Amino acid sequence: MNIEPENPTLRLPSPVARLAMPMMGVGAVLLLVGVLLGAIFSSVEMRFAMGAYLTAYTYCLTISLGALFFVIIQHLCRAGWSVTVRRVAELLMSVLPVMAVLFLPILATLWIGEGTLYRWDSEEWVAAHHPDWLNPESPQRSKGIYLSDWFFTLRAILYLSIWAGLALYFFRLSRRQDDTAEIRLTERMQAFSGPAVILFSLSVTFAAFDWVMSLEPIWFSTMFGVYIFAGGMLSAICAITVGVYLVQAAGSLRQQVTVEHYHDLAKLIFGFVTFWTYIAFSQYLLIWYGNIPEETFWFGDRQEHGWAIVSLILVFFHWLLPFLALLNRNLRRRPAYVCGWAAYVLLMHFVDIYWLVMPSVTESPTGGVMGVVTTVLCSLGMVGLFIGAVLRAGDGAPLIPVRDPRLQESLAFHNI
Amino acid sequence: MSDSNNQSTHGMMAEFDSVDSLLAAARRIRDAGYTKIDAYTPFAVHGIDDALGIKPTKLPWITLTGGVIGALTALAMQIWMNSINYPYIISGKPYISLPAFIPVAFELTILFASFGSFFGMLALNRLPRFSNPVFTNPRFDLATDDKFFLYVDAKDARYDGEGVARLLGDSGAASVDPVVEDETPTEVPKIFFTLAGVLAMVAIIPVLVVAMMRVTTSSQPRFHVFYDMDFSPAKDAQQVTTLFADGRVMRPDVPGTVIRSEDGFDIDFQTGVDMEALAAMDPARAEHLVRLVAQAPADEAAPADEAAGDQVADAQAAGGASEPVDNTPWLQDNPLEVDAELLATGQEKFNIYCAVCHGVSGRGTGLVHLRAQRIQSPTWVQPSSLHQDILYANNYADGKLFSVITNGIRKMPGYGAQISASDRWAIVAYVRALQLSQNAEESDVPAGQRAAVAQAE
Repeated sequence: MNIEPENPTLRLPSPVARLAMPMMGVGAVLLLVGVLLGAIFSSVEMRFAMGAYLTAYTYCLTISLGALFFVIIQHLCRAGWSVTVRRVAELLMSVLPVMAVLFLPILATLWIGEGTLYRWDSEEWVAAHHPDWLNPESPQRSKGIYLSDWFFTLRAILYLSIWAGLALYFFRLSRRQDDTAEIRLTERMQAFSGPAVILFSLSVTFAAFDWVMSLEPIWFSTMFGVYIFAGGMLSAICAITVGVYLVQAAGSLRQQVTVEHYHDLAKLIFGFVTFWTYIAFSQYLLIWYGNIPEETFWFGDRQEHGWAIVSLILVFFHWLLPFLALLNRNLRRRPAYVCGWAAYVLLMHFVDIYWLVMPSVTESPTGGVMGVVTTVLCSLGMVGLFIGAVLRAGDGAPLIPVRDPRLQESLAFHNI
Repeated sequence: MSDSNNQSTHGMMAEFDSVDSLLAAARRIRDAGYTKIDAYTPFAVHGIDDALGIKPTKLPWITLTGGVIGALTALAMQIWMNSINYPYIISGKPYISLPAFIPVAFELTILFASFGSFFGMLALNRLPRFSNPVFTNPRFDLATDDKFFLYVDAKDARYDGEGVARLLGDSGAASVDPVVEDETPTEVPKIFFTLAGVLAMVAIIPVLVVAMMRVTTSSQPRFHVFYDMDFSPAKDAQQVTTLFADGRVMRPDVPGTVIRSEDGFDIDFQTGVDMEALAAMDPARAEHLVRLVAQAPADEAAPADEAAGDQVADAQAAGGASEPVDNTPWLQDNPLEVDAELLATGQEKFNIYCAVCHGVSGRGTGLVHLRAQRIQSPTWVQPSSLHQDILYANNYADGKLFSVITNGIRKMPGYGAQISASDRWAIVAYVRALQLSQNAEESDVPAGQRAAVAQAE
């Protein structure tokens, strides 16, 4: 099997690669138009528009972060099977620096607007609802400090630099190995993967608290970070599956990625669908059973004004349907079938993020016609930007780590 | 299995030196049409299923069935236990409360699915069995070391000893041997029966001891297996402790504790008294009431409240008994908007808290009263009927009724700690409705429903 780096079937077909810049451009325009709709149309509030932006951003970010974790965990357990699909994951994570730039509009809502997106950002609101946050003698003062513009910004910079740093570290070493074939690089990545997991989990947990959970500044769930991670990891594996399948459909990697790899990816999708449900239900059960108003209102908001339908969609279509669909081993060994369900789960992940963010921003599940337009434009724009950036990173790089010491093991990989 | 002429063979066993030769031979045997074949290797060999032509196992279906049965068993068990056999409200949840059942359902799903996998695997492999003829050849022990074995069973339709041996030999086998009758005796050795008998007798001893204890008496104190469970080191309310300097077990609120009150705090709403008017008439009493209700700061809080509460209750509720004229400026009307929803809440709370004594109709003939009468309790005083002139709205202000529910009167305890203020007001509204229901004229019934009333009579 030809695994020379110059082999064209190991690269992005040029018609696909050429889409990178147009997709980024169109994506940026759609995103801008989507957010501006919020500023122009009075029927769409700016708060709604920024909520839609945050939804779209969190959606792409969690996929990217999941891919980062996927790469780290492969190095951590020195996995052999996954080498041929690892580069796709690396491309998905390599756009984390771009995602860092795309966070700027959210930071801007803190410094320009007053409580445009996060209510705690408005001093007026805090003074009216939680005067203790401003009272130096109250124990709640710490919450006021934690949720202050400058501390929030500092933490955001910290998270984003950790992720961009990790992504670039693993991507660059892996790319360098394409040329030099040094085994030492694999050893370095393995050695760093342990600390990287710790950095990753802490930063993702706190970023989930800061960026999504603090939309309801009273509400708290220590499980929230894991919930975000579970959804991100699940959708990252789905994105890898869809990505690999599309690359194969375009004519590359036909021999390198086999039904065995799809089988393993499908097992992971099945497993993480269950894991997501496990975490989601655990979070719900504790709050439901404890029945403390400070906690239950969050789920209460998601059971009113039509949000109950969205909640039920998550139960039946984010968990039950894909769970049943991927239960059977024979079906998990059909690449087209697996790819279809992976794409489906990616859609459900969007519903999940929408369900997390939007009820804190708007009472109605859709925000009216203009609300739907805003959401769709923002999401399409963000996803377009995201895919464009991934394609740009993938242009000129082999789509498998051609000199990885475990590549042969992966090529010959066989489930029993 | 056994040929009629001589010692029977069970099949043919071929030994191989490498995985590759085993796989090649397996493929050849498979292609030759043999189906009852098996391979024995020191480690899992990728692709051996395919090479042997083994059909996909049915085990996953057994696992799935086990899982489904587990989930259904758990749900059925919990529904039956918690809502049919012994209906019991836990944490105010409904009897059939799916979220609470899911953790157990999840665990039983996993357990039964595992049982399905484990016992299903044993059953499909026809295990356990006492012996297997393949072990008769001592070389077969190398299957756990560095040799690979391929076995063709004699029950295969295409089996003929010579032909199979030749085919295996041609496929690169290092050696080919027939597997002959296992001479291990099939009977269970006698010693096992003896041991089982002894064990069974020993096992009866604890049962006999327990049975003896049940029918004899002992002067010894009871033996505590789990001492700290029988005598919990945790303190009960009102006890003393050496752990804190003030010796109190019940700890006062930590400074800075955030009081969670109902929406907004309205002293009139909490007491049923027009506090401004009272402050003008009797400032001392107003201040005392306010301090009681508004949770005075920690230093002068709690311990005295109980007694003071009784006093105030007496003073407030004195309208009927000792003090003929009650000057307290009670709130005349219910501060909540009285609508069907509020009355429904009031009815629900009334039936929970009040009806046991006052009766569902409010005539003072609740279940507790009936029972007290039956056992001729000498200390029992019949609860007031709510249908007396002196308790009607024009004689007995809503605020006063509220205050009685809150603080109690005569033998009735206060319910302020158990029922929230808004629910107490809902009960007041319902009591008024109840009173009205006993004095209604036909003209009070909406015109459209009069026919239904007439029919009911």
